[in-house]
Parts: sequence; C-alpha cells; structure tokens
Amino acid sequence: MRGAKSAKWVAGAIVVALAATACGGGGSDSKANGAKQVVMELGEPQNGLIPSNTYESEGSEVMNALFTGLVRYDEKNETQLDMAASIETKDSKVWTIKLKDGYTFHNGEPVTAQSFADAWNYGANQDNTQETNPLYNKIEGYADLNPGEGKKPATDKMKGLKVVDEKTLEVTLTAPFSAFKTMLGFNAFYPLPKAFFKDPKGFETAPIGNGMFKMDGKFVRNQQIKTVKFDKHPDAAEVKIPGVTFKIYNNQDTAYRDLLGGRVDIMDTVPLSAMTTAAKDLGDRYIQGTDSGVGYIGFPIKYNKVYAKPEIRKAISQAIDRKAITEKIFVNTRTPADDFINPLVPGYRSGACGAPCTFDPAAAKKAFDAAGGLPGNKMELGYNADGGHKDWIEAVAAQLEKNLGVDVTVKPFEQFQTILNDLGDKKYSGAFRLAWSMDYPHPENYLRPVFSEDAIEHGSNYSGYVNPQVEKFLDQGDTATTEDAAIKAYQQADDLILKDMPYIPVYFYKLNAGLSKNLKPGVRIDNMTQIDWTTVNPA
Amino acid sequence: MGRYVIRRLLQAIPVLLGATILIYCLVFLLPGDPIQALAGEKKADPNITAILREQYHLNDPLYQRYWYYISGVLTGDFGTDFTGRPVAEIMSETFPVTLNLATIAFAVEAVVGIVAGVFAALGRGKFLDNVVLLSTLLLVSVPVFVLGNVLQLVLGVKWAIAPISYDSEDMTTLILPAVVLASASLAYITRLTRTSMMETMRADYVRTATAKGLSRSRVIVRHALRNAMIPIVTFLGVDLGALMGGAIITERIFNIPGIGGTLYQAVYLRQGTTVVSIVTVLVLVYIAANLIVDLLYAVLDPRIRYA
Repeated sequence: MRGAKSAKWVAGAIVVALAATACGGGGSDSKANGAKQVVMELGEPQNGLIPSNTYESEGSEVMNALFTGLVRYDEKNETQLDMAASIETKDSKVWTIKLKDGYTFHNGEPVTAQSFADAWNYGANQDNTQETNPLYNKIEGYADLNPGEGKKPATDKMKGLKVVDEKTLEVTLTAPFSAFKTMLGFNAFYPLPKAFFKDPKGFETAPIGNGMFKMDGKFVRNQQIKTVKFDKHPDAAEVKIPGVTFKIYNNQDTAYRDLLGGRVDIMDTVPLSAMTTAAKDLGDRYIQGTDSGVGYIGFPIKYNKVYAKPEIRKAISQAIDRKAITEKIFVNTRTPADDFINPLVPGYRSGACGAPCTFDPAAAKKAFDAAGGLPGNKMELGYNADGGHKDWIEAVAAQLEKNLGVDVTVKPFEQFQTILNDLGDKKYSGAFRLAWSMDYPHPENYLRPVFSEDAIEHGSNYSGYVNPQVEKFLDQGDTATTEDAAIKAYQQADDLILKDMPYIPVYFYKLNAGLSKNLKPGVRIDNMTQIDWTTVNPA
Repeated sequence: MGRYVIRRLLQAIPVLLGATILIYCLVFLLPGDPIQALAGEKKADPNITAILREQYHLNDPLYQRYWYYISGVLTGDFGTDFTGRPVAEIMSETFPVTLNLATIAFAVEAVVGIVAGVFAALGRGKFLDNVVLLSTLLLVSVPVFVLGNVLQLVLGVKWAIAPISYDSEDMTTLILPAVVLASASLAYITRLTRTSMMETMRADYVRTATAKGLSRSRVIVRHALRNAMIPIVTFLGVDLGALMGGAIITERIFNIPGIGGTLYQAVYLRQGTTVVSIVTVLVLVYIAANLIVDLLYAVLDPRIRYA
C-alpha cells in the first residue's frame, strides 16, 4: 500500500509544481537554430544490441531506430513494405523477397539478400544461443541448425534460404505459413553487415545497422545509447531531428519528472503514479492507444479435473466485472478484453467473446450451479508477486466470492515460473494469472503460441489445452494463400477457443505515452510500441 | 602493529569464504530458473535453454558450481552473468559510481555532523543546540525515500535549481543524492558528537588543560574532540559500508547506475554470480573499514596499543 500512497502524493506534488511553473511563462528560444537531440526514456536492454538476441521491448526500441526491416506496420496496423520492394508467394510456402535499391549499412556496406540470409542463419544456429532462435523455426533447414543440446549442427546454413541474386532472397518454409510476411517486421529478421561476423562481441555495444539512425559512440550500459541521423538512408529527408539519445532509467517516476522538466522528450510508458494527472500535465502531448498485451486467468486443465468443464470456466469468466477492474484498479491503463485476438491486429472482432465476457452475476451463478460448481466450493487463484498483480487478482477473488459464492484462496508465488513449476510438480493445482504479448501483429500470434498443442512444449499453453478442431483451423489459416482467407480461418479457431475458454481473457493493455514540450504533438507509435521517427518533429 | 594487521587480514579469509558460500547457496536456492527468468513469462526455447544451462553449469551440483565460481574468483575471474556479460565488467562500471556517491555522502556527514555536534555541545541548551536537536530529530524520522522524493520535486521540478536525475557527464548531479543518502547518518553523527563532546568536556584532564592556561580552541580540538572521536569513528567506519550497500533507494530515486540497482536487478533475474560478486566486494569494504577503525583507535587514544 505504501507504493500507492506515495504515488498519489507524488502526482499531487507534480500538479503543484506545474501550477507554479505555469506562471513563469517566457518560453525558450534557445533552440531557434535547428532542432536538438531528442531524448527518449528507455529501460536497460537485457542483452547486447544484436537484433537476433533482442526479444524484449527496450532493446527492440533501439533496434527499430538503428535498423530498417523488410516490412513495417502502418496506422491501420497493416503490414507495409519497407526495405522490401516486393514480397510474393503463390502457396505461402515459397516466398520471394526483392529488395529496394539504395540501402547501405552505416559503415557503407550495401545491404544485400546475403545480409539477410547471413543474419537469419546466425540467429537460428543453436551454437549462438540467440534469444529469438525459435522465431526462425518456420524456415526449412531450421532443424539442421538445432540438433539439440550436446550435438553440433552439421551445417551453418538453412537450406530454405536461397540468395538468388544481390537483391533477391527466396525463402522456403517447412510448411505454408501465411503470416510470414507480417512476421518479417520483427527485429529477428533484420539484416546484419559482414562486420558483425568478425566481432559479434564488439557489435553488442557498437551495432552497425541500416536504419535511419546510426550509433554515436558506444552503448554505455545503464546510462545511454546515443545515435545520430544517418544521412545516406533513403528516407533520411523525412527525419526532422538530428538524432535520438536513449537515456536509460531504472525508475519511471524519475523519468516522468524529467519529461515534465524537458530533459526527456519521449516516454512510451507513463508511470502508474502519474496516470491520474498525465492528461492535465501533458495535454495534447499525452498519447493513448491500445497495447499488444492481453491479461488472462488460466486454468490447469491438464493437471486438475475440477476445471475440465467449459461451462465452469465460462461461468467464472462471466462473474468477473472487467470494467470495475480496469477502471478502479488499473485507472484505465487497461480495457476489458472481449476477444483472444488483440484490437491492434487485423482480425480482432469487438465483442467476439459475447456473454461469457459480459458481466452478469445472476446468469453466472446459475450456469455455475447448473454445471455442478467446484468440489468443496473452493477455488485457488495464483499470481506472481513480483509483477504488481496482487490488487487485481484479489479483486477478481472478491468478485468470484461474492458472485458465485465460492471460497477463493489467493496464492502468491515468487515468480511466474514458480507457478508453472508447482503445477508441473503437482504442488499447485489452482487457476493462475498470465499474460501474452505478440511478437508480430497477426491474429495467428495470439492463438498458436498460446492455445495450440505445439505450444504446450514450445509456447505459453500452460493449461495444456488441446482441441483438434482448433488445430485444424490454425493449419487452415497457415496454409491460406490470401490474407482474408487466413484471417477467416484464424477467427474460426478463435471462436472455438472462446467456446472452450481454457484461459479467461480479462483485459487488454493500453499504451500511455508522453511527449515533452520540445516536440510537436502527433508522434505516431506503431502497434509494436515503436516510434515512427518520421513523425517526430521539434516544436 | 604489523602483526596485528596481518592477523586481522588472515581472519578476513574465513569470513569472506563463509559469506560467499552463504550468499551463493541462498541465491541459487531461490526458486526459478535463471535462464527462463530472462525470457519473462514467455516460454524460453527448450533447446536453447538446455544449451545455456549446460554452458553455465546449471545442471551440476551446487558445490561443484561454487567450486567453479570460487576458483575463478581466486584467479581474478569473476565469471559471467547469464547473458554472457563478464561480472568484472559489470562491477567496474557500477562500483565507481556508487563509490563516488558514497564518498561525497561520507564527507558530508563527517564534516557537517562533527562540526554541528561540537557547536551544539559547546552551546548546550542554547538556541543553536536546540536548532541542531530539532533538525536532526526531523532527519532521523523522515525516511530516505520521502526526503529524496521531496527534494527532487521541490529543488528539481519546482524550483529547477537541482538536477532531477544523474548525468554521467556532470558530477555535480551527485551532490543532492549524496546529501539525501547522508541525511540519516548525518543526524546520528551530530547527536553522537554532541553527547560525546559534552561528556569529555567535563572530564578532569580537560579541566586541567584549561587550568594550565591553554587556549580554548586548543582545548576543544586537540584535547576534547580527539578523545570524543572514538565512538564517532566507530560509527563512521561501519557507516561507510552501509552507505555503499544502502544506496539502493537513493540510486533509484535519482536514477544513478550504481551497485544498488544492479544488485536489485540481479537478484530479481537470479543472476547468481553477479549478486555473489558484488556482495563479496561489499563484505570486503566492511572488513577493511572495520580494520581501519580499529587502527584509528590507537591513533586517537594513546592508551590503546596493538601488539
């Protein structure tokens, strides 16, 4: 409770501070000549700055500035070509990627099809233990590079990657995968220059990309990553700022104060403590939108028979007042979830979940009793205590106790992993919270990695849910040759999962970003929470 | 004297070994897989996880892993964390920052604390004494995170006369954090100096010194203060370690990339080698500080001799 109290207090103090400075007026004209370096708040990237070893939001933000990928995601969340001139396929299995001219790495080396092939081969090779390794598993030959622990890969190239000529790359997948083009925007699929392979270790602090910004000096751990505009980039004319400095903060409250003080210009996550005042503090420089995360409550279907009936799971879902939780506990930094597919990706249908996600305590109680309830009228709800989940999980527990009349025991675990271990060791058999956030903006990414049979071993299907019909529709979506047909098949899979409800979708995350007075409003943040640097303009 | 120092240094070896064993076991007995911790809630790839576990000896028994670690340390190699970064590199980046912060804080609390304490003691019951007593009471009772946030908001955001966060290119940004960090100890030192000074000022030898006709300043500084320093030095010595290890809250408020934040992150991500190495160095700092304090006793009080 200490955190919440001091947070309110801090927010109040900021209002006072702002009111005081507002009288000052004056305005600064120190930057009359040309724009100054833009400072963006960043958390410490987990690994060195190698695209294929970057699988978290902070490092990805830097990668996005330093590299230009084959595709990008536009205002409508659709996939547009970026460095690729065309990406074509007839069967969703063999993809021909043609590159645009004029792109070079920051060291002058031209970006060719080989730069992509080399980078992907490196990322997929188990010997390099890159974090994004599993993302290459659709490409033919991935298995050869990943023979398993204790064995050496016999080759260092995937046979599915064929460099046809300098500007053409032909990619063959092990099986058709219609979302492949969308996937290519993720930083695992960025190209790498030859210099990387000479010194991967050095690259970690001095990466050489092909993006709009190049490194200015080295990555100073825990402090900053400084970049300047790369004038030879084909889109350089659209960049209106001299460079971006990523300033690393270990504490968003401090970063927010620096944002108000004008020492930080972009913050992609306004801290919870400032949520009630951010709109007033920032005005039209407060950016709100949807974020790709989904929060669930999961059932251990594989481990515990009492949750086997879908009717029970749906009744529990219906007894949760999502609106109260998102408004009261999350102060509108979440929105009630009504689909397994996030609103940020094509294929989302508002209200797809229907009645089970619509709060109706009377109907929920009726359905719960009709399905036989839970043995002993008892339920356990687990959460990891390290992630700020206590409040909402306790609220859910209170709602279930009130609306269904069950005794809910809330159980904290040290880490999320502990819940899974205890489930596996049969030390725990209750429900648990979890969340998922996409790797690439496609409906497939909200279904297969979470609800497919394959995801029990390789993904986040921690409930052990299996439905052969779902598998069928997912495969249908993968093999579809048009985007529309693919989305339709995924939606059919989605419908079936919503009917079975192995996880309860509770909320979608929201994007709350802020800009300083040094920048004009109107900065676009795409669905991967990455800044569209061409929309950043000095005030 | 020399033999005493050697004996103390030899005593430090089992302390250090014991500390590393204890911390090593504690960190690695925490639930949760360090490789999975890096992937967050997403499942890390089973194959890559298996390779990394083997690479970092995570499948070996604890005593064997401890042996790998400690034999590395003895040859000057602190190993790497689970993202492959050398721990020595992490420490060489973060320790100097914390050391700077702690040194400034130490200077602030020693100088301000002793001076304020002496003046309060000399003017016992007078206005200045009351001011000192009241302000130190305030400093002791306000928690560091409250003081830090208030000063940051008032001086940094509202009046804009002090920096909000640390800037590696501008050392003056460490002054406010150092004052915040020193605040509580500053209050203790002031009060300790005041009490200790008042006591010595009443001692017979001080009265003799005054009777001999020595100047007041000489009596106070050379005769009284020197003797009154013993409890203060004890406190300062222990506090140096506390300042380094306890800087975590201050470092967080002012975004200072020192050992506090690194240690927190390392515990959170189960980066065992990082935690053990940093704590080991902190233990060393404590041992060294305590030894210096003990040696200073002899300097301050001629009656104390180490054979």
